[in-house]
Amino acid sequence: MSPFFLLDFNAKMEFTASSEPRGVGVHPHRGFETVTLSYHGAIAHEDSAGNKGVIYPGDVQWMTAARGILHKEYHEQEYSKSGGPFQMVQLWVNLPAKDKMSTPKYQSIRQSDLGKHVLAADAGTIEVIAGEYEGTDGPASTFTPLQVYNAKLNPEGEALFNFPTHYHTGFLIIEGEVIINGNHKAAENQFVYFSQDGEKICLKAQLNSIVLILSGEPINEPIAQYGPFLMNRPEEIKQALDDYNQGKFGYLE
Amino acid sequence: MLDQFKDYLRKHITITDEQFDFISKDIKVKTFEKNKLILSPGETSAKTYFVTEGLLRCYSIDSKGKANVIQFAPELWWLSERNGFFNEPSDFYIDAIESTTALMIPRNYINDSAAHVPCLYDFNNNILNNSIRFMQKRINMLLSATAEERYLDFIKLYPNLTLRVPQWMIASYLGITPESLSRVRKDLAHKHLKA
Repeated sequence: MSPFFLLDFNAKMEFTASSEPRGVGVHPHRGFETVTLSYHGAIAHEDSAGNKGVIYPGDVQWMTAARGILHKEYHEQEYSKSGGPFQMVQLWVNLPAKDKMSTPKYQSIRQSDLGKHVLAADAGTIEVIAGEYEGTDGPASTFTPLQVYNAKLNPEGEALFNFPTHYHTGFLIIEGEVIINGNHKAAENQFVYFSQDGEKICLKAQLNSIVLILSGEPINEPIAQYGPFLMNRPEEIKQALDDYNQGKFGYLE
Repeated sequence: MLDQFKDYLRKHITITDEQFDFISKDIKVKTFEKNKLILSPGETSAKTYFVTEGLLRCYSIDSKGKANVIQFAPELWWLSERNGFFNEPSDFYIDAIESTTALMIPRNYINDSAAHVPCLYDFNNNILNNSIRFMQKRINMLLSATAEERYLDFIKLYPNLTLRVPQWMIASYLGITPESLSRVRKDLAHKHLKA
């Protein structure tokens, strides 16, 4: 679903309290962006560029790995100690060839900074993370045109979307239950992938619902992927491995 | 799985489909779950594994309880415990560190097959010589090389294992502490930062 390469969804689950925070140790990335959205639970992270922070529920971390970064992600200490529900999405957003080796960067976006479009008729709110919805802009800067929103709808609330036909579009039902275009029901934890044959989508909630809306212009370039590297050609993967092994991604304890 | 083995052989020898099918009828395809222990010290096994997917490890545990890695076998690597070839019990453990698919090749495979495909003798000699050469180099490294030299040699031999294997296990292959490996990687990163 270019430019979205991967969607890692932690459906809502309860974690028991733990003094040793669970998570993923130091690992590299090159050639794309990781976008982490927390819905429940808090994630602490740290990278080799010196960035460090906590992603609380509603926040978004938009990390451009580009030519290479090392990072680690763990349950935030206080959350880990208390335990509780955890629900999270991580997206891999591809970069065009010309930007794959650009300087890594990092956008830490608090929920309060998100663009908020309040829908008419008490239907709910569209939180705009990237792109634009009905004149409301999202704070994240992106390398290619794409739209990322959280649609938070009340029961019977309706939202309309309009994306160019050639965009790749998919909805992830984080919570609740929805009807799409009048007759397609989608339940919690389901993903809806749209064919490229129209522009308008109608989303109507049956229950209180949160839907992650993804739409973007495809990057029509070859793909070579190995583990945490997403490049265009196999030689670039080999180079990424060499560079990682040689310490060219930096160092993180 | 067998096709991967055929492609591998064909990089080194000429073999027809009919010849390959004939000599491969006793090869078994085995899958091992992650962390599956395949062989333990005291057991006798003369099987050879050829990994088509995943990663096997051969290691010992010393008197202090520390694991020492003898060999990693990722895709297209051979692994066998050689005491078994002399009908003696193994000194080593073999386990799967990823979920793994491997071909189990019987002990007399080369002898039986070479009657039909004579060039297998030379090929087998070649890979045995190569593995002896490799082990001589490894002994020399363990006796005399610095931690950094050992690590640089390791990433040449196993370029993608740094992504697949935890640091402590790599350190245990290199015969250094996890702290030294960490220091080596840190020093390398700082060298590049300055350059």
